[in-house]
Amino acid sequence: MNASDLSDTTNQPFSTRLYNLTQRQRHWFFIAPALIILLLVVIYPIIFSTGVSLFRVTFASQSRPFVGLQNFERMLGNDDFIQSALNTLYYVVFSVSGSFLLGFAVALLIRRITAGKELLRLILIIPITMAPIVVGLMWNWMLDPLFGLVNWFLGLLGIPGQTMLAQASTARLTVVLVDIWQWYPLVFLIIEAGMATLPRAPFESARLEGVSSWMIFRRLTLPMLRPVILVALLLRTVDAFRTFDIVRVMTDGGPHLTTETLSLYLYRTAFTFSKLSRAAAGSILMLLFIGLISALMFRYLYRDVEVG
Amino acid sequence: MRAPISERVLAYVILIALASLVIAPVLAGSVTAFKPQIIWVSSPPTWLFEPTLENFEFVFFTRKGWVYLRNSLIISVGSVAVALILGVPAAYAFARFRFRSSKALMQWLISLRMIPPIVVGLPFYAMFLYLERGLGIGLRDTFPGLIITYQTFLLPLVVWMMRGYFAELPAAMEESAMVEGYTRLGALWRVVLPVVFPGIVATAILNFIFAWNEFFLALVLSGNRTSTLPMTAGTYIVRTRVEWGNLFAVNLIIMVPVIVLTIALRRQIVKGLTFGILE
Repeated sequence: MNASDLSDTTNQPFSTRLYNLTQRQRHWFFIAPALIILLLVVIYPIIFSTGVSLFRVTFASQSRPFVGLQNFERMLGNDDFIQSALNTLYYVVFSVSGSFLLGFAVALLIRRITAGKELLRLILIIPITMAPIVVGLMWNWMLDPLFGLVNWFLGLLGIPGQTMLAQASTARLTVVLVDIWQWYPLVFLIIEAGMATLPRAPFESARLEGVSSWMIFRRLTLPMLRPVILVALLLRTVDAFRTFDIVRVMTDGGPHLTTETLSLYLYRTAFTFSKLSRAAAGSILMLLFIGLISALMFRYLYRDVEVG
Repeated sequence: MRAPISERVLAYVILIALASLVIAPVLAGSVTAFKPQIIWVSSPPTWLFEPTLENFEFVFFTRKGWVYLRNSLIISVGSVAVALILGVPAAYAFARFRFRSSKALMQWLISLRMIPPIVVGLPFYAMFLYLERGLGIGLRDTFPGLIITYQTFLLPLVVWMMRGYFAELPAAMEESAMVEGYTRLGALWRVVLPVVFPGIVATAILNFIFAWNEFFLALVLSGNRTSTLPMTAGTYIVRTRVEWGNLFAVNLIIMVPVIVLTIALRRQIVKGLTFGILE
């Protein structure tokens, strides 16, 4: 049966037409259940949240007056919101670049060794599989000023005990370092997997022609890995942007909001201060912000790559 | 090609240093779980002691750790099962059928990965509240409620991973089965699924790990009845002091199943973590 038979349905009995329709649209039987659930658990809540952000809703009061964009204005004019947005940006910049550089370095280093490769890789990826909350609690203990191993170790080197998490100057960096500790192995895995797919021929001929390994790396490895690098950066950016668990248990945003992230701030606004509408407005702003960042990364860096 | 000896030595030094940076805190912390209470916070740390299981006993029975373990298991296994039931057929369709919106839909699905949990967690809390007050449907602090919300991050991942596994199989497989008289669904069930089973296991394990470690949605949407293990971990921090031995006992209960799974299925897990990136 060819296409013209299918489109000329006037002479066919209804049952045949129905059968043809279901044959052409059969993919929907497979996709519809997942799609409906995703619309229900992701898209509907976002629409709901947008709705809530246009009213003044609190858990305490029954009346819900329409206030238009007032909640958005309040959020954007709020110093704490701006502060937590800037902190989040700090996390994104330093956690992403730190984990990327370290992960990339490890991917390059592990190619140089043979014995023990499997075991080392297995040990290095353990942090990815740990619950972020466990990672945070573990490093709390490591960094404890009185009995933590880090200070004990520094003490052996003659450096006095530090209270890294209690000081505004060091808390943010410390939390970022812990985040890097947990996530650089993911970059390493992605880059390593990407390198394994590179064709060998161009590298061998370059080497035969006596091109230095630095030039091979810059002119061959980096450009060919570009799509993989961008996936790694995008994944890390999206994750760093939502940072919550580690900060929640390590500093809970303190001292003086220096480590407060957007997720933490919005959580507090909604559930500690029960300003639901304002938190909803903030979360919509957050979504727009991350959407914009991802779109820009896609657009400028990811344009020549097939997705999905 | 073998790297020059100096490069190899340097690589070993750095990699072993990084590996110790993983092993040292994980081991040193875990050891605390076996320390009697008097030396939890001894300084310098005590390494020689009579190991005890009293912290585990306390956490598991006195503080009802077994209940949280059960809750975590129900929620993780349940949400992964639901995600597989919904996601595997969708993944199959994306891998096999050509249709107009397929590419756009798949991109949309991948883009869901960027949505921060707060963006859905917040409206879910309010929606559950309104459902309870308005229609008398209680979903807050229930297993079905959490299993539904966990689909926000599990379902896209299942579709994405399984689509890759299906795409690896030749389409001739079902076609020849269908020539032999199987229907499309029959071929999928009897011929394709058995072959792709290792992929399903890998997908299930990786999603289980993410559900098991999840903290934010559980914090917002669970309560006394459905509290999970990661949530109880936080309860061992009291404002003035931390019950370190008990805390690390809980941490170990959270960590050990995942590490065992990772070691047992490391190839599949590595593949799952980097999946689809190489297409």
